[in-house]
Amino acid sequence: MTKIINWLYEGNRMERIWLLSQIEFKLRYYGNKLGLIWALLNPIAKISMFYVMFVHLMGVRMDNFVLYLFSGFVIWIFFTDVTNRSIIILKAKQSLYENTNMDKVEIYISLIVSCTIGLIFNLSIYIVLSMISGLFPTWHYIYFILIYINLTLLSLGIAMILSNLFLLFKDVSQLWNIATTVLFFLSPILFRGELVAEKLPIIIYLNPLAGIINNTRAILMEQQVLDWGMLGYNYAYALVLVFIGIYMLKVIAPKSSELV
Amino acid sequence: MIDQKVALELKNINKSFTIYNERSDTLKGWMKNIFRLSTDKSKLKVLKNISLKIDKGEKLGVIGRNGSGKSTLIKIMSGAYLPDKGGKVVRNGSSMLMSLKVGMNHELTARENIYVNGSALGLRVKEIDNRFDEIIQFAELEEFVNTKTRFFSNGMAARLAFSVAVNAGADIMFLDEVFAVGDKKFKRKAIEVLEKSWLDGRTVVMVSHNMGNLKKYCDRVLYLKNGKIEFLGDPKRAIKMYNEDNS
Repeated sequence: MTKIINWLYEGNRMERIWLLSQIEFKLRYYGNKLGLIWALLNPIAKISMFYVMFVHLMGVRMDNFVLYLFSGFVIWIFFTDVTNRSIIILKAKQSLYENTNMDKVEIYISLIVSCTIGLIFNLSIYIVLSMISGLFPTWHYIYFILIYINLTLLSLGIAMILSNLFLLFKDVSQLWNIATTVLFFLSPILFRGELVAEKLPIIIYLNPLAGIINNTRAILMEQQVLDWGMLGYNYAYALVLVFIGIYMLKVIAPKSSELV
Repeated sequence: MIDQKVALELKNINKSFTIYNERSDTLKGWMKNIFRLSTDKSKLKVLKNISLKIDKGEKLGVIGRNGSGKSTLIKIMSGAYLPDKGGKVVRNGSSMLMSLKVGMNHELTARENIYVNGSALGLRVKEIDNRFDEIIQFAELEEFVNTKTRFFSNGMAARLAFSVAVNAGADIMFLDEVFAVGDKKFKRKAIEVLEKSWLDGRTVVMVSHNMGNLKKYCDRVLYLKNGKIEFLGDPKRAIKMYNEDNS
């Protein structure tokens, strides 16, 4: 831990990570005319579409269904933002690390920080909506920090794996596109977590997002404590992916200037 | 353990590139290579058995014909490329590679690029704040501070990158044809920077076709021919050999 802190404070690293995060965020949201409104429109458009589909067309009756969808999308949007944008990151930021002593890990951290700004934005909207619906924040919210760390590790691990795979074969973005479509329908975003646990329990263990989304809802909507067993399993899952990502970063990424 | 007087040491450096005649950067191509189903490729050996030491504060010039391996060598020295198995590069201190291709993010303005590139080169935001006007004036881009660099010409972008680097610096500076940036006036300013700041106490490796600069600034010159060291030593002799070979 001390090593990581020392590394972060070496030279102008912390400042640089924050600067790169701000630039990433700006490029993402201010690069188009609607600016930050896009950050809001993205979850709202998805939630409206699924709300109309499930409630009006399919007749699903469920309390606070909008909040239910929103809490799932907060996690999903962060995860897909980090992983989708990471694919070409070693190519896009090549000039930064190739000519200097900058560590490639900084690029991933700045991507995470930039997406975290979006996550905080979405979470704030969720809390406002939740209060309008009569569900006020409770002390259970504090557990979200543990979920956030878990989600960050998971996204970081996959981001490192995808960006290194991209150096070897460029069609990884198409493959990841298919994978996220499958993952979306295997995650309890649109349907109840218990339903998946009953019908296809293995999905909860295979899909690392399932446990994270279920735990998020437990604390944000149901004022329950976390499912600690699932949290531990999800941390282990995320750490394995982070180690694979670090290994790939050590073996493949040093050749990135030749491979991009 | 590297001798503390030595800034850079290359041991037994070879570098080959695999040239694929069909697309290999897809999953299909990758699998074909893994299972050795593809034979449509060849190896191009760019550098052969390079070993040398550069002392701290030394200025080394590198010359050779186009395709002789100069840029590959400087990229291996700076760490951008890895040598083939068995080769070793030891750098003693921070390093910085400057080339005409130094990148800009073309979605960002000149101002933002100065901050991002400056920060990547190790400058603190406060230092960039203090030197901002100096950087933009040096690049002669005062009117385009808030213009996205995608509207810049190649020369303008290269000038901007050069001006940021002027204010940065590292223990070992790798300069790949950087004095070809801009027009006559800018080239003169660039040489002034080299003399005033980059040469002062730093180790410099300079790839150039400008023999006058190499004679003037370098302690030794490496003449690279077909990826091998043809000569390493006195600048005048190296340049004479190069001129004789290519006349």
